Amino acid sequence: MHKVWVIIRREFVERVRSKWFVIGTILGPVLMGATVVLPIVLVGQGGVRRTIAVVDATSAEVGRRVVELLGRAELIRATRVAVRPADIGRTADSLAPYVGLEAIDGFVILTDATVDSGRAEYRGSNAASLGDMRLLQGALRQVVVAERLRRLGVDPDVVTRADVSVALATVTIRGGEVTGESGEATFFLAYVVWFLLYISIMLYGVQVMSSVVEEKTTRMVEVLVSSVEPFRLLAGKIVGVGAVGLFQMAIWGLCGKLVLDYRVSLVRMLGSKGEEAAAALAGLGVPEVPVGMIFISLSYFLLGYFLYAAMFGAVAAMVNSEAEARQAQIPVVLLLMVPSVMMVGILAAPNGSLARVLSQIPFTSPIAMPVRWASAPVSAAELAGSLVLLVAAVLGTVWIAGRIYRVGILLYGKKPGVRELVRWVKG
Amino acid sequence: MPPDAIVELDRITKRFAGHTAVRELSLTVPRGSVYGLLGPNGAGKSTTIRMIMGVLLPDSGRVALFGGRGNGRELSHRIGYLPEERGLYKKMRVADLLVFLAEIKGVARPAARRAAGEWLERLGLADWAAKRAEALSRGMQQKVQFIATVLHRPDLLILDEPFSGLDPVNSQVLKDTVVELARGGATILFSTHIMEQAEKLCDAVCIIARGEKLVDGALSEVKRRHGGSHVIVAVEPGQAAADPILADRRLVVSADRFGNYAEVELASGADPQSLLERLVQAGVRLSRFEIAEPTLNKIFLDLVGPEAATAAATPEGPGHA
Repeated sequence: MHKVWVIIRREFVERVRSKWFVIGTILGPVLMGATVVLPIVLVGQGGVRRTIAVVDATSAEVGRRVVELLGRAELIRATRVAVRPADIGRTADSLAPYVGLEAIDGFVILTDATVDSGRAEYRGSNAASLGDMRLLQGALRQVVVAERLRRLGVDPDVVTRADVSVALATVTIRGGEVTGESGEATFFLAYVVWFLLYISIMLYGVQVMSSVVEEKTTRMVEVLVSSVEPFRLLAGKIVGVGAVGLFQMAIWGLCGKLVLDYRVSLVRMLGSKGEEAAAALAGLGVPEVPVGMIFISLSYFLLGYFLYAAMFGAVAAMVNSEAEARQAQIPVVLLLMVPSVMMVGILAAPNGSLARVLSQIPFTSPIAMPVRWASAPVSAAELAGSLVLLVAAVLGTVWIAGRIYRVGILLYGKKPGVRELVRWVKG
Repeated sequence: MPPDAIVELDRITKRFAGHTAVRELSLTVPRGSVYGLLGPNGAGKSTTIRMIMGVLLPDSGRVALFGGRGNGRELSHRIGYLPEERGLYKKMRVADLLVFLAEIKGVARPAARRAAGEWLERLGLADWAAKRAEALSRGMQQKVQFIATVLHRPDLLILDEPFSGLDPVNSQVLKDTVVELARGGATILFSTHIMEQAEKLCDAVCIIARGEKLVDGALSEVKRRHGGSHVIVAVEPGQAAADPILADRRLVVSADRFGNYAEVELASGADPQSLLERLVQAGVRLSRFEIAEPTLNKIFLDLVGPEAATAAATPEGPGHA
């Protein structure tokens, strides 16, 4: 046992002392902070303000109301261009070049059909921006409804008083308890969980691979296995690198919490423009990460990491160089990518059959289950089943990887075929 | 098993896909000896050593170390192993690396740190202790590898081609250190295909080729058995009394005479001492009497044959026989 401990300690100490650990650890929170703070600061500085023209060919001049409504939102500055219905085509053609010159972002065409049957057209460079279009659509709808009511003889005052926009606040219930977190925050949480698990399993798994390849190419392995059993060597390596991962995550977690806790003062430090942003931030619902979520994510990270690190270790034992390892690792990486490719499907229907199946299969569950858990209630039975399967797969994979490793690390030359691998595992 | 055998191999065999690397090999390394495992490249030396270390398991046969049942890995705290293919963690600091390698052999951290410092000092590498291994020259790296082999004060040193790739200076340092450790009571088993080195260092040898043992035993014994006995005799002028003795077929097979000088091949089983006795008794005045042992190299070439000897002259291949 002492020897394994020595191996673990070497892996941990050498890695933590390396330049790359320091760089990665510092860069991690900086990037994390940037992803949280930067977009808000940019919004605060008016970085995404749009300018559009409202081509108004309606007889009731509804364009005036649209411009007025958009002006209130402060995100879109609109100018009304009144035209006769016959001139719509010409006006549109003459406005298009201005979009090209970026003088305006686009223009919306309103005709009597807009009021009659609810049809309008927008042409612009930001036509793909869902936020902008939702805003515009909301304004048009409000104006059109008011105009139609007026035509039906409803008093405009009544219309104004009846009009109210509904803000739908979403709150997630998890495990029968109201969490105080919004639906968007839940989505955000699931997304972060996916990202962290995928990146960290990949990152640390590949480090195990490099470590094995290094020992093989430098021939250190010969001396090592003359005093330590190969299986213990592999186990010590996996645990050592995993400990580095946990250590780094602990640092990041702490930094992330500090950034979130002090986000308002942080943004304020960015200068006077930061003031508005700070106000915006203070009201923003930041996902409150439940303890259960952290526990589940860590459990699945560790099990998933063991599973993939063992496979990366076995792959490394079969090859002779770093370059060969990059080739040989592809099947393992692809396997790890499966839940990521299906992430959209999992998030869209966290309790759909795709998500359910992926969260049970051991090679996808380390990522799929925590993501599901973050976005929807998961029954205890499903969770237990997934964990049991995963633990069984980890034990089996580590055993097989150990057998391959034991033979592979001492052989140089041609990469083994499948049949030879089977013999190594049996032997 | 002889009571004082440190390593005993009993008919060990190792097959790899397609060929037998070691076949029914038995040998005994006595306590305190410097033992040479000799053979051309591809003879099975490294495979034998790896089986002794427990890195490979023999397909059949038995390896016994220190007269007990433990394998090389379990006894690694008593064994210093320098493999043929050797290297270091490039990014690790030299002192840390030595401490790590001592620790996996069971040496406590403070003791390992102290010993590493002493050895680095002794081999002139004290200034490099805090440097990364990759910063060291090849010669220095070899010294570090050697220190890693002896740091934990092993009773048994197993060195696989220790001199290959060493420059003359480092070769001398290594040889001196090995001799010193042997004087201190350590048993040393090393493999080489350079016979001159083995001849100077070894008390006992085992010559193998194509995975099979050709001869083993104490060096003097091997020489006596396989070289015949040659004696060079020079007499003072006018000593006719020597003639009948040199013509005695019970004692001498042939005598190559050059006037007062003769190269004599003794009959099998004849003792050079008795020839000397006869000459002295006959009143022959000798100016020179020398037992001319055949060199180990000659025995090696005679035993292994020209075919294998050619193989020995080719550079190291990628194979690990």
